[in-house]
Amino acid sequence: MTPVATNPAQPVARAWRPSSRVPWRLSWRDARVVLAVLIVALLAAGAALAERFATAQNLGNVLEQSTTLGIVALGQTIVVLAGGIDLSVGAMMSLAGVLFAGHVQGDAARFWPLLAAVVALGAAMGAVNAALVNRLRISPLIVTLGMASVLQGTALLLMPTPGGSLPEFATTLTYASVLGVPTSALLLVLLFALVGLWLHHTRSGRRVYAVGSDEHAARLSGVDVFRGRSVAFMLCGALAALAGTYLAARTGVGDPRAGTGFELSSIVPVVIGATLLRGGRGGVLGTLLGVWLLSLLSNLLNFLGVSSHVQWIVQGVIVLVAVMLVSTGRVVRRAAP
Amino acid sequence: MSASTTTSNAAAPGTPGWRDWQSHPERLELVLLAAFVALLVLAAALLQPAFLAPGNLRDVLVQAAPLCLVVLGQTLVIIVRGLDLSMASVCASVAVMATAFNTTSDRMVPVIVCAGLALGAAVGAFNAWLVVRRGISPFLATLAVMIVLQGARFAYTGGAPSGTLPEGMAALSSGVVAGLPVSTWIVLLAAGGCALFLTRSVAGRETLLVGSNPEAARLIGLPVARRIALAYVLSGMLAAAAGLVLVGYVGIVDNWTGKGLELDAIAAAVLGGAALSGGKGSVAGSILGALLLVMVFNIMVMLGLPVEAQMVVQGVVIIAAAATYAVRQSR
Repeated sequence: MTPVATNPAQPVARAWRPSSRVPWRLSWRDARVVLAVLIVALLAAGAALAERFATAQNLGNVLEQSTTLGIVALGQTIVVLAGGIDLSVGAMMSLAGVLFAGHVQGDAARFWPLLAAVVALGAAMGAVNAALVNRLRISPLIVTLGMASVLQGTALLLMPTPGGSLPEFATTLTYASVLGVPTSALLLVLLFALVGLWLHHTRSGRRVYAVGSDEHAARLSGVDVFRGRSVAFMLCGALAALAGTYLAARTGVGDPRAGTGFELSSIVPVVIGATLLRGGRGGVLGTLLGVWLLSLLSNLLNFLGVSSHVQWIVQGVIVLVAVMLVSTGRVVRRAAP
Repeated sequence: MSASTTTSNAAAPGTPGWRDWQSHPERLELVLLAAFVALLVLAAALLQPAFLAPGNLRDVLVQAAPLCLVVLGQTLVIIVRGLDLSMASVCASVAVMATAFNTTSDRMVPVIVCAGLALGAAVGAFNAWLVVRRGISPFLATLAVMIVLQGARFAYTGGAPSGTLPEGMAALSSGVVAGLPVSTWIVLLAAGGCALFLTRSVAGRETLLVGSNPEAARLIGLPVARRIALAYVLSGMLAAAAGLVLVGYVGIVDNWTGKGLELDAIAAAVLGGAALSGGKGSVAGSILGALLLVMVFNIMVMLGLPVEAQMVVQGVVIIAAAATYAVRQSR
């Protein structure tokens, strides 16, 4: 089989696609402005429609609740920028939470070393994903699908039902706030800022973009393509593990199904944030705005008494609209997923 | 089990040069895959002699039917460089729709079946519109459709579906005709149809060409958009058929009927030699891939291993199979 992401010589498959040229397609840079405007508009609409919406308390909640999704989506963004996709993040979260809560067992002394160990395990699993894509030339979709199955099964074998416990201070930490801003939101912004700086100002960060935008050209220019992809998958795995530990710390237990659904829902903010699924275009800022927009919207819809079922419809429609509006860029490498 | 294996390969032996493995490596793959499935059946029989009892084999076939139907659709879509993540959602939506008729009259069964297939075709057509006309990547388009369908279903049922199904629906899956379950006949019919379509019809050959090189297909004047669209519509209808069979099998409906089928189907298609880069895939391979997954599951159950261990094994099998094909391809 010719792997999707690793075959550089695919013909340009654009012309056969009669996708209508919408004059108001947005570049991914403009899309971030639109997202910011939408967030402000939502805030305004929320303040007008629901009394307790625009309070510091509620907005703090929104920020807090978006942290888990934000961390996973950040990792997903890096992999997508590198032209891949990671469907194993949900299972990685579950496994990380189970291992973390199961081994800490309420002992504060073990908290930090185990946090580091679990995050390292996430990076290691990411490295395995990348090695399979790089060396065996299997499409990332299949690799991470298989990996998801393995990790989820392991998590359930280790802990069939939610269990384990975490020290008191961990839960307090995740609910704490500094000057009215939740610490979790600060952590999230810090992570996004670090990754953003890394992506734009370091050699290895630029490598991720190079691999994603045109692997063949990158290889010809002497870019270490394998390394770029490995780093992307490792960071994604580490961030997924971090999200798993965060969720465990927040709820106080390790739940073997905590990450279920995150593998797909983590892609939604990436796409809304105008990062192209075929890689190379986009950035982390769009993802952060996308995460916040989704959380705000879901919070506002809750205030308005819209059922979570209808919210799914809204989410699906938003994805479609976002994808239709964002320009697909000029270079189309392939027509595969 | 062996019935579908032999049927799917039946066309091949006898034709001259069939064993020319050099020029037809995919046939060797098929034979190896079939041998592997046969090996698993043998292993199951050794583990538990009762496995080969006709009643039990029928149960296995009934249990395999939905995955076999879904994998056919997934294969068609994968051939045109797509993916259909909305299949399980279509299954569940069709199931919910079946209860919405809220009837116990067996005379309504054909109506329910037609309505279900129509719903599947409509969803498939919408997927096709998004992919072909709007140029959205199939992954995202079908993902969004999956989410929307899921929301619509839950909003309609309010979380818990209610309503009654006619008794006749059960016959769709486990009723026995000429020794085989009705659902197996449905699978054979669908698989035969898809195989004929892909290997013997002009449209089917064009579909394969469109998948392997859309640009070349466009240049020689093939109706690229229509071929891609047809694959998605058929995929939706096959998902609907799987949903109907599942409803009959389970007897009750919930909002998650068929959950996970779309990913299992991708795994089965890849096991059967379909390539996500398009243009490659066969009905026989995909059905064998589905049977392989079902057999692995059955053996794990026989060994008394928990379902979780089965997930681990399934993941390893998927990666190993994809790796085998990829390594062979790159030589």
